[in-house]
Amino acid sequence: MTTETARPSPLQRVSRILLSDYFVLYLSLAYVAALAPFYPVLLTPANISNVLSNMWPLLIVATGQTFVLAIAGIDLSQGAVIAVTSVICAMLIAVTGNEAVLGNAPIWGAVIDGDGGLLSGVTGGLAIAILAMVVAAALIGLLNGVAVAVFGMPAFMVTLVTMLVVSAFAIYLSMSENISGLPEAFIDLGKGDLVSVYFGAQEESKIPRKVIYSFVTYPMVIAIAVAVFAHYLLNRTVFGRYVFAIGSNIRNAQISGVPVRRIVVAIFVISAVCAAIASILYSARLEAGRPTLGAGTFLLDVIGATVIGGTSLFGGKAKIIWTFFGVLFFVLLSNTLNLMNLSAFQVDMVKGAVILAAALLDVLRTRITRETAR
Amino acid sequence: MNLLKTTSAAAIVAAAAAFTGTGANAANICFAFQDLETEFWVAGHMAITTTLTEAGHTVLERNANEDANKQFEQIKDCIAQGVDAIIVIPQDGESAVTIVKEAQAADVPIAVFNRPPTDTSKGIVVVADNKTIAETAVDSIVEEALASAPADKTLNAIIIVGDLGDPNAVGRKDGFYAAINKHQDRFNVVEVASKWDAATALANLEAAVTANPEVDLLFTSSDFLFPTIRSVFEPRGLWKKRGEDGHVLMAGLDGDKTACQLIKEGYVDATGVQDLYFEADAALKGVLEAIENDEAQPNVLIEDPGFALTQANLATDEMKMWGCILLAGE
Amino acid sequence: MSDLLTFEGLSKAWFGVPAVSDLDYALRENSLLGVIGQNGAGKSTLMNMIGGIVQPSGGRMLWRGAPYAPQSAADASKVGIAFIHQELNLFTNLSVAENLYVDGFPRKFGIIDWAAINERTRSILQRLSLDDVEPSVKVGQLSPGERQLVEIARALHNEAQLIIFDEPTTSLTHRETERLFETIATLREEGRTIVYISHILGDVQSISDGIAVLRDGRLVDHGAAADFPVSRMIKSMIGRDLGGLFPPRSNQPDSDLILSARSIGQPGVLEKASIDVRKGEVLGLFGLMGAGRSELARVLFGLDPHATGDILLNGQPLTGGPRNRIAAGMAFVTENRREEGLMLDASIADNLALVSIDRFGRKPFALVDMEALSTRTEAMKAELSIKAGNIARQAAKTLSGGNQQKVVIGKWQMQSPKLFILDEPTRGVDVGAKYEIYTLVDRIAADGGGVLMISSELDELLGMADRIVVMNRGEVIGSVDRADFDREKLLAMAFREVTA
Repeated sequence: MTTETARPSPLQRVSRILLSDYFVLYLSLAYVAALAPFYPVLLTPANISNVLSNMWPLLIVATGQTFVLAIAGIDLSQGAVIAVTSVICAMLIAVTGNEAVLGNAPIWGAVIDGDGGLLSGVTGGLAIAILAMVVAAALIGLLNGVAVAVFGMPAFMVTLVTMLVVSAFAIYLSMSENISGLPEAFIDLGKGDLVSVYFGAQEESKIPRKVIYSFVTYPMVIAIAVAVFAHYLLNRTVFGRYVFAIGSNIRNAQISGVPVRRIVVAIFVISAVCAAIASILYSARLEAGRPTLGAGTFLLDVIGATVIGGTSLFGGKAKIIWTFFGVLFFVLLSNTLNLMNLSAFQVDMVKGAVILAAALLDVLRTRITRETAR
Repeated sequence: MNLLKTTSAAAIVAAAAAFTGTGANAANICFAFQDLETEFWVAGHMAITTTLTEAGHTVLERNANEDANKQFEQIKDCIAQGVDAIIVIPQDGESAVTIVKEAQAADVPIAVFNRPPTDTSKGIVVVADNKTIAETAVDSIVEEALASAPADKTLNAIIIVGDLGDPNAVGRKDGFYAAINKHQDRFNVVEVASKWDAATALANLEAAVTANPEVDLLFTSSDFLFPTIRSVFEPRGLWKKRGEDGHVLMAGLDGDKTACQLIKEGYVDATGVQDLYFEADAALKGVLEAIENDEAQPNVLIEDPGFALTQANLATDEMKMWGCILLAGE
Repeated sequence: MSDLLTFEGLSKAWFGVPAVSDLDYALRENSLLGVIGQNGAGKSTLMNMIGGIVQPSGGRMLWRGAPYAPQSAADASKVGIAFIHQELNLFTNLSVAENLYVDGFPRKFGIIDWAAINERTRSILQRLSLDDVEPSVKVGQLSPGERQLVEIARALHNEAQLIIFDEPTTSLTHRETERLFETIATLREEGRTIVYISHILGDVQSISDGIAVLRDGRLVDHGAAADFPVSRMIKSMIGRDLGGLFPPRSNQPDSDLILSARSIGQPGVLEKASIDVRKGEVLGLFGLMGAGRSELARVLFGLDPHATGDILLNGQPLTGGPRNRIAAGMAFVTENRREEGLMLDASIADNLALVSIDRFGRKPFALVDMEALSTRTEAMKAELSIKAGNIARQAAKTLSGGNQQKVVIGKWQMQSPKLFILDEPTRGVDVGAKYEIYTLVDRIAADGGGVLMISSELDELLGMADRIVVMNRGEVIGSVDRADFDREKLLAMAFREVTA
């Protein structure tokens, strides 16, 4: 209150930037500006096109995680949901099946055989398969949500168990084998272009493929649609208000008539469904149903990107636009670390350090808000 | 060990240099590998990187940590960086197809080392003839097993299969059955899944041996699992040298250092050998040649015929196996 | 008697805005000074300057005549100043003795000398009549009152000459408060000097020998306690005459019942508690701590279950949880404002909007009608005269206690409920804001609503209620109409010495 009357000092300007919604965007731009002279490749259209294409699936998963973090929860099962929905989709729509690979899997003969999956060749089969992914994910989310909201179990524990069980189930379905032979229409969802760009004059009648860069792609459209929808849901609807109320102070929310259980369940469903949508993109870009998707350090990427954006692990503070910038920064980071020829271990160490720095930044921001409030 | 490893690598350097002849312009080569979990991959990685670096090329190494999606993104980053060629050890056969497609669409020549795409018609694919190699190795122990057993006895055979998403694993399994099926009525086969993972193999093998305590013959789809087999067999009295009571006839595939040691000691009877240096050399030659000739989408399948090192030819053929070369270097 | 601590033109400004201005005062040795003032009057800033937490921007302090400019809390503790805060600074996982010696343990031959530590701790505890507490007991196992005494023990251990109490009685029971005052008397007999800060003006009046009043960072009034009746305190604190502590009740209750709770029972908590609230009535609910007042309120609001009995609102039986109660027209301001009433980091507007937000959702996606909502929250801010800047941006935690409480009441007022349950509505609220809250209570009743007002301060119930119901150990002891209000009798009922 007292600060409003005073003229902004340099310190206050710094804290204003730190508190800005666009802070991580500024950070990303500064990062690129600092590195571009040393790695000119960074700003080439091909690299930018890459950074963008790597952003989209991660953005969708992180969007789901943002909702869960907003109520001070955590969803560790997203990676497993990606894996199981990837297998479910592929086993339904694959146009061929390889007995040598899948012969031992429980789905062989029942869902998929030499002529492909149950829905291969069926009109609207792709839509049904995607619906099946979403329904499967929603059921997993429902299970998580009910365990957390109704039985009051800690989200960390619940989703950790879900992660173990669901990823084991995904591996069991195909006996750990990848299911390839997906139809073109599906693969397009993962990497199909809508608008591509070409820089330079057209000298030959046919422009070689390698100088045409994807600009607007299906993944971009899907991811941005999900993010915009999520943004409205979180910031503009009654539902979103309830989410923040629960994240800020759950006892207050209960007393104030927020339907806490319903909202918590819905949030875990949203998180799982986001994972399923991302699973479409991941499966399609790799052209196979893959029970090992989303394993390893994948969760670090998701939670890291979300937290770097500024969403608090303590709940009540979350914005989709923060997550968008967080994902951008995180993907840029991976991209540049690749350009620097660092090994996978070094890359993970740097990523870990950056996430730690983001957590420290969160503390710093909180302190600044407190100081200026005095 | 380092000394001979370097000398053997130097041999390839010489070969590559001879091929490039005039000393082609230094190229940027992206070398993307899934992870280096076995001796075979470590030795292959070593051979490829040293050869390229010593020939004056720049190697951009990318380790995907066994994550297919990460490998895909790394390859795309390599392409964006404008590399002249890519050598990849893919995570599995399916993602290899996607990766080759991506590289060829961007006019970057690509070679796939040892673990082939499910579709071998695209890219420079260097692959061992897994089926034949496995069959030769298994043949030798099948003959020996039948020779020493009563004519009416059914023998128990175990095969440890790899990750069937990897065509190499499928080929090796097929080779094993090709050998066994020549005497179909004499064998009772137990399959043990490993997923190319030592812990998985350990658990499944333990279960299999508990269920079938009498083992006459074992084939592992990769040599890197011998230490795992030992840890299951030894406490059960199955880990014995040739000639000792209770020796189980064993064969593997790869031809690594451990296998060489074990064959010499007499614990293992045979192993199928992939010619690592031939394969590394073929992959390198393939991409360098493509760069030289401005060929953007070279497609060629190069097969490594391999051979089997058995107790019978150990004396003569030992130094043809890369694992024994490494062992001798220590 | 000499002067212990002297202020000469002491000032502190935050970003150019004065928090304490030009303060001159001499605190005599072995005196007991009561310091009062509304929230934001500058008490905390002054104490933080004495404690070395913040440094003055003008003037100086003298300790026994020598300049005193502490740079840290350690400096203050070194000269002999100790603070006893509202939120205690004890390590609940450590023992009493460890808490006393936390700054440094005496050693013998390099080993911590536990015998000496326990002996000295025991002797200090004895001086505070805490004989029954063993030095080895973990602080976490002690009651709030005992913890406070341990904090005082720590001050004694550090040979503090000046002990400053900041709202020490907030979480204490009546008995514990009495014990604290006895201890304070003992401390003075030992020659120590005390500064006592509190909102409970009666206490300040009775234990202090001098009183100082701060308002807007200035020392506006001071004098001997004997010449300082509560009315003068209030007048000095708020700068005008309130004409009493309570607004007059402006309406008579109807005979129609709004709330009727019949024989509410829950094993171990409530026993056949029945309570009625009429239209336009302010019903006071009085009882000692643990009498079951808040527990009854939680049951009425559907937060806790009840085994027997019915609850009727306007004749309709109530079922389900808070959502159903709210839909039926109930509102509940709980006793824990920060834990249960507010989203502290969220904006004032968001806090005000929470309960009624679904009314502002436009179909089909329940997008919030921001314009209508902002109009309504602005109107509520004006209606309750919440002292804040931009309510859409300012966080609720930046408000004073009184204004925070207005926000909590305001979020319910947005719904125009029929029955208000107010649990300790003026706890931690300064005098001026208390009056505003009382006015609000009166207005709710005058508009035909019912108010169930729970309080431990009998005075405010006597001032505001039309009727007072007294509870003891989960039972309703009886009900007294305004005409028959009698302090002695109500207290006797609360102690269950008589029934009405």
